[in-house]
Amino acid sequence: MDASTVTFVISALKLVGYGLGAIGPGIGIGIACYGCCVATARQPELQGRLFTDFIIGAAMAEALALIGFVLTFIL
Amino acid sequence: MNALETLAADVPNLKQSFDPTIVFGGLTQYTLWMIIIFAIVCIVVLTAARKVTLVPTSKFVNMVEYGYEFVRQDMGENAIGRGYEKHMSFLATLFFFILIANFIGLIPGCKTPTGSLSVTWALAAISFVYFNYYGIKTHGGWGYIKSIAPSGLPIALVPIIWFFEMLSLLLRVLTLAVRLYGNMFAGHMVLGIFALATSVFIGTAIQNMDLVVSLPSIGWFALLLCMYALETLFAFIQAYVFTILSAVYIGLASAEH
Repeated sequence: MDASTVTFVISALKLVGYGLGAIGPGIGIGIACYGCCVATARQPELQGRLFTDFIIGAAMAEALALIGFVLTFIL
Repeated sequence: MNALETLAADVPNLKQSFDPTIVFGGLTQYTLWMIIIFAIVCIVVLTAARKVTLVPTSKFVNMVEYGYEFVRQDMGENAIGRGYEKHMSFLATLFFFILIANFIGLIPGCKTPTGSLSVTWALAAISFVYFNYYGIKTHGGWGYIKSIAPSGLPIALVPIIWFFEMLSLLLRVLTLAVRLYGNMFAGHMVLGIFALATSVFIGTAIQNMDLVVSLPSIGWFALLLCMYALETLFAFIQAYVFTILSAVYIGLASAEH
């Protein structure tokens, strides 16, 4: 393999790694959103608090995907 | 030349148009737009503040007051809780700045400053310094360091939990910055690619005098409109998320146990 092929494979593998890293947060945010919707349907008067908690939880799950996004640039 | 080949050849140009370029002096286009947005926010809020009355009569003042009410209710009362009043000026400034910065990028020809990593790093750093300052002010230096680990843990677990909490505290500045940047940059890139595809297919059709080639551009244009609607939503959501996370971090840092 010559040098340009190696660079290409490495840059492609970075994207694959980011894609793999986005799976977990995607599932996590999906579950959090499901819980928020169900809880709001059961108790609509708590909507404000539940949505805030959902945003916090989603932000924490999303942090992993964002770290992966940064790693594609700096590695 | 094939339409798809032209599209592939034009994508690097599109990517290059996102790079910061010097407009005049030492200003890149992102810095220039940041200053313009700063001016817009100042003008809008100061004009509204000058005309403020007990019962708002003008539509303009009502609009700005609605925005402020929204920040106070959703971010102040819900996320910070008791003692939120003194943080309101910071949160409202942050929210209005990011909101207008995100929306201005949707106007063709304007550049969104939040689509550049330097601007979002600066915003995240301001927020990071702010909540740490209030944490130290509430608990004192050593008390704040201790309060990072939640109270009521078994003594053996405290160092481990403290380490992870500290890591997540330090990662907050990174996630705040990269979330805003990633959403704005990727959104505008997608809009750019769809717009490019629309024009390339029409251009190829005109060049080859073949009307059938231009048909996919109808689909691309429909997709572009859908993405525009989605980006309008995202411009608001990202401003909201950035501000509410800042509010939550302030609330966590300055909470009294």
